[in-house]
Amino acid sequence: MTHLTRRNLMKAAAATGLAGALGSRFAVAADEQLGITLVIPSPIGDVGWGHALSAGLDPVKAAYGDKVRVTILENIAEGPDADRIMNKTVADGNKFLIAGSFGYQNGALQIARRDPSVTVLHASGFQVAPNFSPFAAKYFQGSYLLGMAAAALSKTGKLGSVSAFAIPELITTINAFTLGAQAVKPDIEVSVVWVNSWFDPAKEQEAAKALIAQQCDVIFSNAQDTPSVISACEEAGVYAFNLNSSMKKYAPKTYLGCVSTDWSPFFKASVDAHFAGTFKGANTFLGVADKVVKVVDWNPDIPADTMTKIKELEAKIADGTFSPFTGPITKADGSEGVASGATMPDGEIVAMDWHVKGVATPLPK
Amino acid sequence: MNAVEFILAGMLAAATPFLLAALGEMVVERAGVLNLGVEGLMALGAVIAFIVVYHGGGHFLGFITAGISAALLSLVFAFIALGFRANQVATGLAIGILGQGLSALFGKTYESLTVKGLPKIAIPGLSEIPVIGGLFVQDIVVWLSLLATLVIWATFAFTKTGLVIRAVGENPKAAHAIGYPVIGVRVAAVAFGGMMAGFAGAYASVIYTPLWADGMIAGRGWIAIALVVFGTWLTGRIFLGACLFGAVSLMSLAAQATGLDLPSQLLSSLPYLVTIIVLGIISADRRRLKMNGVASLGEPFEH
Repeated sequence: MTHLTRRNLMKAAAATGLAGALGSRFAVAADEQLGITLVIPSPIGDVGWGHALSAGLDPVKAAYGDKVRVTILENIAEGPDADRIMNKTVADGNKFLIAGSFGYQNGALQIARRDPSVTVLHASGFQVAPNFSPFAAKYFQGSYLLGMAAAALSKTGKLGSVSAFAIPELITTINAFTLGAQAVKPDIEVSVVWVNSWFDPAKEQEAAKALIAQQCDVIFSNAQDTPSVISACEEAGVYAFNLNSSMKKYAPKTYLGCVSTDWSPFFKASVDAHFAGTFKGANTFLGVADKVVKVVDWNPDIPADTMTKIKELEAKIADGTFSPFTGPITKADGSEGVASGATMPDGEIVAMDWHVKGVATPLPK
Repeated sequence: MNAVEFILAGMLAAATPFLLAALGEMVVERAGVLNLGVEGLMALGAVIAFIVVYHGGGHFLGFITAGISAALLSLVFAFIALGFRANQVATGLAIGILGQGLSALFGKTYESLTVKGLPKIAIPGLSEIPVIGGLFVQDIVVWLSLLATLVIWATFAFTKTGLVIRAVGENPKAAHAIGYPVIGVRVAAVAFGGMMAGFAGAYASVIYTPLWADGMIAGRGWIAIALVVFGTWLTGRIFLGACLFGAVSLMSLAAQATGLDLPSQLLSSLPYLVTIIVLGIISADRRRLKMNGVASLGEPFEH
């Protein structure tokens, strides 16, 4: 019987690594049809996270035609069920897996380690393997620009955000939103309501109404998959914006804009690499410069001079000369977040666990 | 509008889905049947009402069809659990899962679409009172739910129908011996409970949050069942519990919006904690609790 020792573990790890290196070079036969499976936790609607991911696969289908076969498994709860379903789809011969939620990380990573011929893309995680790439969007670049627009339109000087969970990805979007708003009106305040759920339309709508009752007149729908917040804001006559895909049709008058994500350049490049046998797992953090993040459907009410400034900054973000997280930035508790003149590196942005000054709601611990 | 006004104005509407579903389940349990499928019945009602309203059928027709379809699904439960005397817990769970599955199936092409809600009706005079005025500006379904609460309370307090339902739940053998159709009464109670759950779902999907999204009931059916137990099968307490739950869940959001320094996870769990504590205190008297409990709850009836 083999004992579980550090040495054995190292051997096993080395073997997996070697197999990974060999596998990615030899396992792909060019004439074989590639099965691509996308697994997502919520149902696919006309809008939202799942919609953005599935739409990102359309150009891949268009480019490869019969050479790829796309399967989308929606509404898969994170946990053992997801592991079973992902294993099944890989066992069925689908060699390209897109695990569309953070909670799929461990199961998807196991699959990648076990079978080096499989390529796995994993949403918003941090683990990397030779055939396993986590991916995330720099939503904060867009929410900074919308913060500028929000501040220009706000009469009360109070902005709000309905947010799902206090994780770094959502904290950074709120921080950038606040910083963008402060760039236009320095004393503006942002209130946050954490609904502590990825999916509860009724509660999200109540949260939006609670913020509106506190005189917030621009609301940021932070990671809601349905138009719950957007439609409540249209009814109340306050501006609102969201992430992922445009919800303009739910709020024709008060829709401020959308930090949209287009995953197709990334998906296409990854599938290309899989076919070529050159796929290499890496932490991919994509933004405006990669044409993954883009603000669309700007509201015509935004004053022209603000819009000009926004467009200038957008161009600077795209060519890398400006980052929203450029110092001096003060934390909500008064301490220094980013030193004057310094720019926060990506590695720190993805782990951000503090609010900037101007966010009125304390961060849950 | 300050936080207190916000909570008072929104409390009744937030409570309505819980209230409707819990009152229905209360009638079912008073007749001695435990139907744990409320979550699925609500989901089915929600999707049917949404489809009808989305295609221009109007809210009234939406509620009617939601009530009928959920009642029909609950009759499937009655058929298995009462007709074949299957285990009520298992059957209820199965029907609940079936209801959620059906709702996902029917709602597939309606995912994240929206409809228009209903306008609010203000009671003249009362709605102008400062601070509490918001309580008297509600949509028609909220007013009708309050009326339904009164009617159900009066039925159990004053009418023979109420006594028959209670007799069937307390001692089905005795009720049978004096000539009441035990199974018939139970089937009717289950259908009524299903209809109310359907209304509750309809309220959630076409008035309270006028959109359809698979899974939007998000556990509210289970809270309704819990409210029945914590409300000790009494209409008044269930009403109180639903209002309290609605108010505290709004409070937890309003507290965050005002920047109160409390962890949001704690605030999110407050509605559950407060409801359990308050209803626990008012039903602390074990003798009275025993008096209100339903003696034959969940037991199949054989004669």
